[in-house]
Amino acid sequence: MSQLEKLPPTPIHGVHHTARPTWKLRETVEFYRDKLGLPLVHAISARGWPEGHPDFLHFFFDSGNGSTIAFFYYIGTTRPEQLKPFPSHFYTATHTAWQVQHLSDLDIWRQRLEANGVDLRYQTRHEIIESIYFSDPNGYPLEITYQLRPMTSMDADDADRTLRAGMALEDARKAGDITAFSCIDDVWRSKGSELAALWEART
Amino acid sequence: MNVCIFVLDVEEFAPLVLCARQMPTTEVTGPCQGYLRIASSSHLEFSRKQLGFKPAVWYGALTGGLVGHIVEFSRDTLRIEAT
Repeated sequence: MSQLEKLPPTPIHGVHHTARPTWKLRETVEFYRDKLGLPLVHAISARGWPEGHPDFLHFFFDSGNGSTIAFFYYIGTTRPEQLKPFPSHFYTATHTAWQVQHLSDLDIWRQRLEANGVDLRYQTRHEIIESIYFSDPNGYPLEITYQLRPMTSMDADDADRTLRAGMALEDARKAGDITAFSCIDDVWRSKGSELAALWEART
Repeated sequence: MNVCIFVLDVEEFAPLVLCARQMPTTEVTGPCQGYLRIASSSHLEFSRKQLGFKPAVWYGALTGGLVGHIVEFSRDTLRIEAT
C-alpha cells in the first residue's frame, strides 16, 4: 500500500468562502448587507504583506449553511482593465449560485430584489434547478436557485458517460482531428453508440 | 431501428417518452442502465410546445444519446433522420 493509499478519507465539507476583489467598498457592503440581508460576519484590515501587496480590507458576508462570500478591497488601487466585466458568456460563466429551500422563495427573492432596485436578468427552469439571475454592483453574476429534485446515482452515471465522451473528443481534437468536437452532437452520438451497443447486448 | 435517442429515466425528460408512446411509428424500450430508448425505422420528430419544455431543457433533450442525424433543431421542432 502506497503512502497515498494509507491516508484516511477527508471529504470536503461544503463551501467556507469564495473571494473576489472589489473597488466599490460602500456599494458592495450596502448591496450584500443591506439589500440582500447577508450579515457581515468578519473583516480583516491589514498592512499589505508580503512586500508589494497593497494594504487591504478582507470582509465576509454569511450566505447560509456555514458558507460566506468574501471580498478584498485593495486600498489605493484601481481596477485593472482585464478585471472589468464584459458582456459574454465567458464572463458570466464564473458566478455564485445560492440555494433556497422552497420554490416559492424565488418569488419572494424577486420581490426583494426588485424593491431594492436590483435588475433581474431572467428566471429560468433547467433540468434539475430553477433560478433567478442578477448582478452585484461590481458586475459579478449571482444566481439564486431551487433544486427541483435530488441528484441520484443515475445522474452521476450519466454525467460520467457525458464527460468520458467529451474528454475523448477533446483528446482527438488535440491530437489533430479538427473535425472532432465541432458541436454537441458529437457527444450525443458518442453516448448513443455506447448505449446502442448495450441495448444490442441485452437482446 | 435506424434512428433512436436515449432518454435518462428522470422526471424532467419524461415528456419525451410519454409523447413517443403516442406515436405510431416509434418504439419505446427499457429502462436499461437508467435509460429508455425511443426508436424508429424512419425518423423521430418532437415539438417543444407539445412536450411543454422550457428552452433550457429542450436544447438539452438529446443529452442521453443519439443514433441518427439531426436535420432540424429549431426553437420548436426537433427532427432526426437516419445517418
